[in-house]
Amino acid sequence: MRVNDAVLGLVLLLLASTMIWLTTDFPAFPGQDYGPALFPRLLGGGLILCGLLLVARGLAARRRGGAAWVELAPWWFQPGPALSFLGMPLTVLIYLLLADRLGFIPLAFALLLALFLWFGERLARALPVALLATLLVHWFFSGMMRVPLPRGLLNEFL
Amino acid sequence: MDAILTAFGLVFDPAVMLVILGSALFGMFVGAMPGLTATMATALLVPVTFFMDPVPALGAIVTATAMAIFAGDIPAAMLRMPGTPASAAYADESYLMAKKGQLDLNLGVNVVFSALGGILGVFFLVACAPSLAEMALNFSSFEYFWLACLGLTCAVFIGTGDPLKGFVSLLLGLSVACVGIDPAAGAPRFTFGNVDLMSGINFIAVMIGAFAVSELLRGAVTLHRQGHVVVPQVGNVFRGVGGVMRRYWKNFIRGSLAGTLIGALPGAGADIAAWVSYAMAKRFSRTPEKFGTGHVEGVVEAGSANNSAVAGAWIPALVFGIPGDSITAIVIGVLYMKGMNPGPTVFTENPQLIYAVFITFVLANLIMVPLGWAAIKSMKQVLRIPRTILLPLILLFCIVGAFAMTNSQYGIVLMLAFGLLGWFMEENGIPVAPMILGLVLGEMLEQNFMTSMIKSDGAWLAFFERPIAGGLGAMTLLIWLLMLGRGARTALRRAALA
Repeated sequence: MRVNDAVLGLVLLLLASTMIWLTTDFPAFPGQDYGPALFPRLLGGGLILCGLLLVARGLAARRRGGAAWVELAPWWFQPGPALSFLGMPLTVLIYLLLADRLGFIPLAFALLLALFLWFGERLARALPVALLATLLVHWFFSGMMRVPLPRGLLNEFL
Repeated sequence: MDAILTAFGLVFDPAVMLVILGSALFGMFVGAMPGLTATMATALLVPVTFFMDPVPALGAIVTATAMAIFAGDIPAAMLRMPGTPASAAYADESYLMAKKGQLDLNLGVNVVFSALGGILGVFFLVACAPSLAEMALNFSSFEYFWLACLGLTCAVFIGTGDPLKGFVSLLLGLSVACVGIDPAAGAPRFTFGNVDLMSGINFIAVMIGAFAVSELLRGAVTLHRQGHVVVPQVGNVFRGVGGVMRRYWKNFIRGSLAGTLIGALPGAGADIAAWVSYAMAKRFSRTPEKFGTGHVEGVVEAGSANNSAVAGAWIPALVFGIPGDSITAIVIGVLYMKGMNPGPTVFTENPQLIYAVFITFVLANLIMVPLGWAAIKSMKQVLRIPRTILLPLILLFCIVGAFAMTNSQYGIVLMLAFGLLGWFMEENGIPVAPMILGLVLGEMLEQNFMTSMIKSDGAWLAFFERPIAGGLGAMTLLIWLLMLGRGARTALRRAALA
């Protein structure tokens, strides 16, 4: 997804001004001129400068012709690659939403299996790999390194 | 002397050796897989090393990165697909050599000169770091402020084709570093009352997102046009390497020197070292016309350079706490997590640790030769692992790794957000590395800036009063001016064209 520099610049201007506006709430200390707001404000100033330069550059590129505001790569319009792309963040989102309820083992297994199959792997290979990988990761992180992976459904067995 | 002996004892512990061997294999694998980078290997390793002692943790990172940078050469020669960006500079040259029937020689040259270049880089690291550290003991907040500025500026200036977008990335990283408790006054900033944000942005989780998840996103798109790869047969790779050594030893020395230097510059790592040395080899060659036809000279120089850069990057990281590339940026985070603040005091407080890093470096480069040989021989099997299996597995590692960094879902949220952001930035020509350096150095930069401001009561001239600070400051300002001049010139040229 390529966007014109002017759009990038506008987003930066928006971000930087929000940042500077938020610093107005920061506490000041009497007798001390340089408080917690100084550094973020300097950074905000720098971002605004960059944003303005980008806007100028983007507009110049538009004037010279070409350069759409937003340009999507051709694969966005093919169902295969586009869904594969979206599948990655979607997997993470599903994990975030369901991890505490279902627990790591069932959820990771299901997600791995779903991704393998979507990417075109045969079931005969996807099933054992998903199972083995889930158990290995769980053994290593939960058993060896004591990471409190969510237990969920298997709470009574683990 | 005592510290050196302790260091040997620490490294040659069976458990540590096992960790080193394991991470060597891991590094080989990641480096040899096209699309997986050495930085990604490091980012994925950190959650694993999180619970280890400092020596095995650092040993694992040192070994894995050294191996990954070499292993990237193998698919470059066999398939014209560099395994890591550091091999991209001479991938065509290597592939053409293979086409000419010199695949064995090329792989042999790659493994031997990677190891030798790495060792020479370590030699400079050992020679330079302690004396630099002694000098750095006298540094005050002014010097550190300018050092951090200079480092970040270099990251933008060298590491990117488009300085403006580099600065955008850097400023974003520094801004993100402001989230959490402010280092000077202890006031919460940009936390919106959220407890997770109070603890700041966990930059390992960010890095897993920006370097690994964004790579997975790119990989998922190209998954559907994956063809069959044919791995050629490999014979005796070491035959003829001695002759190359006798003929091109100058290239080896020059490449390693340049590699160490470029590695030590903040923001430029193994990939830029390889590009620069390859170009240098061509310029100084007596037969520049042979370059681009499958000529070994450039491969020697660039192959030595990228591995020596891996060691060179550790010089500023250990001495000043300023990372030389994105891998050492991760290392600095690991050092902080282990309670050892990188900087000159590490050399006096934990010298055994520094020596342990040096020893591991030498060791990693020594075992590179037999392990590299094994990797070359088993390349067929490695490349047979389909990416349809690999991508989901790495995604699972990312999720668990990011979770382990905060022991809460906050890490995963950060990873996802910065994964998407990193992908979007790369799509639009905004480099990710300056953002990561900014995020890592943000607190140090602000702390030294605020301390200096308070000390001098706002007098800007005080930033230039001490000789070293003044020199560093002048250098930083000079680079800024240079960049502005260059920007203005291109703008004028464009205006003239329009």
